Amino acid sequence: MKIEKVTLEKRLFLYTLTLIASLLVLNSCGGVPEKAATTASAEKNVFSVEEVLEMVAVENDITRTLYTKAIVGKGKKQGMKFDEDWRKDDVEAGPLPALFLRGVATSIRKGPVPLGLYLGSDFPINNANKFEGKQAELFKQIKVDQKPQFFYDEDQKLHTAMFADMASAGACVSCHNDHKQTAKDDWVLGDVMGATTWQYPKDSLTYKATIDVLNAYSKGTVDIYMAYLDEVAAFKESEKPVIGDKWPAEGKYLPTPEVFLDSVRKLSSYGTMKKLIAAN
Amino acid sequence: MFKVSPLRKRQVIGGSIGLVIGILIFVFLSLDSSEEYVSLGPMNTGHEDISCVACHADADGNLSQQLQTNLSYMVGARTESADFGTKDVVANNCLECHDRPNDRHPTYSFTEPRFKEAVKNIDATNCITCHAEHHGERVTIPKINYCYNCHQDLEVEDDPLDVSHEKLAELEEWNTCIQCHDFHGNHTYEVPHKLKDTIPMKAIKAYFKGGEDPFGTNKKYYGLSEPEWIKTLKK
Repeated sequence: MKIEKVTLEKRLFLYTLTLIASLLVLNSCGGVPEKAATTASAEKNVFSVEEVLEMVAVENDITRTLYTKAIVGKGKKQGMKFDEDWRKDDVEAGPLPALFLRGVATSIRKGPVPLGLYLGSDFPINNANKFEGKQAELFKQIKVDQKPQFFYDEDQKLHTAMFADMASAGACVSCHNDHKQTAKDDWVLGDVMGATTWQYPKDSLTYKATIDVLNAYSKGTVDIYMAYLDEVAAFKESEKPVIGDKWPAEGKYLPTPEVFLDSVRKLSSYGTMKKLIAAN
Repeated sequence: MFKVSPLRKRQVIGGSIGLVIGILIFVFLSLDSSEEYVSLGPMNTGHEDISCVACHADADGNLSQQLQTNLSYMVGARTESADFGTKDVVANNCLECHDRPNDRHPTYSFTEPRFKEAVKNIDATNCITCHAEHHGERVTIPKINYCYNCHQDLEVEDDPLDVSHEKLAELEEWNTCIQCHDFHGNHTYEVPHKLKDTIPMKAIKAYFKGGEDPFGTNKKYYGLSEPEWIKTLKK
């Protein structure tokens, strides 16, 4: 009996030793390096997700207004075409503002920044873009006070913000009122025509992550604008607008992507910069 | 060289044979030419020439690191877990070859909150919901009536079809959608104006199983081949 007890104790000791040794070996390797571990420790989160989404939403407002007024509105007066089917082979046209935004959203999705951007309304041209559930509920409030609405989407674990999308240019109103499939034909300037919805997974962001979000948006605008210029280059029957330094003079002119982005920055940079500097 | 106790001889021989067989199996299954034996099933239509590593890339870290990371994650010492062996295959893997600017139903568009209920019925944020790999087919979703999840309020102004879209929705004829409209909108073809001229369901089903394309061969974009995809990675 005594011998058996000793053997059992020895075995237990050996098992424990093996377990400790295994854990030590395992631990000595370290885990899989955490992504951006260094940045996380070196940089503090300086902006709440609401602040960042507000910043990028302002950039979006300015970009969309510039595109709608100075590219689509002005271009249409000169006979240039903009169409919802602009990607189709047999259509020689540019993207309408809503599709311009969709193009920006696509570009953001393709990049590494986990930012989501969508456009919806209570009277969309395409019924599939009609707000439902929580978004529909919050949009009612947005229509009343035009203030942004924030909520946390529990299902997707995403911080979500909605911002009013205003009828800021004559082209918004006339196109929607005259559209064959419009669900509402009495839009007027200044109406809340819809809302942009933005999503981001974290509740606060570092300075760098904030810049990444703003850059992802800017890159998106350049990508979709360049896609439009590629479309123009492939025009076979329509007159090709001149791309270069003549824009914004009257005529069939378009800016280069750099000039377009600079024009947006000229309008938006002061406000954005003020917020970025205030965080330092 | 080795002294083996006569009492342990059989165990040693058995163990050695097992070790050799194990090594041989490991080597055999590691060969490129043996991929079909490792695969869960035949590759889907158009994917026949793709190698395993194109989708199943090695996970970050070695096995020991992956083990430690997941143990730490389990006890709450790390915020993120790690993949074991190979990385999970996600929609972005598919999009590296199949992303197209003209996709009328891109996966990312369904992450918006308003599609929450629809996504509960059909997870359109994931390619594999309709295109589960290793089935030797093209489209694997069992029912073709998926359009009803989002398009129940469909109204088409100046409806060109002899039986209106609204009527078809009212009659819950959701199988008819695909007889005119391919889900991703990549085909260039003349859409019929009469229901009787639409693509027969038999042809659609055969296409889903990997057969001939009833929408025609005129496509605006084609998925990348593996060599083309590798070139994009090098860029």
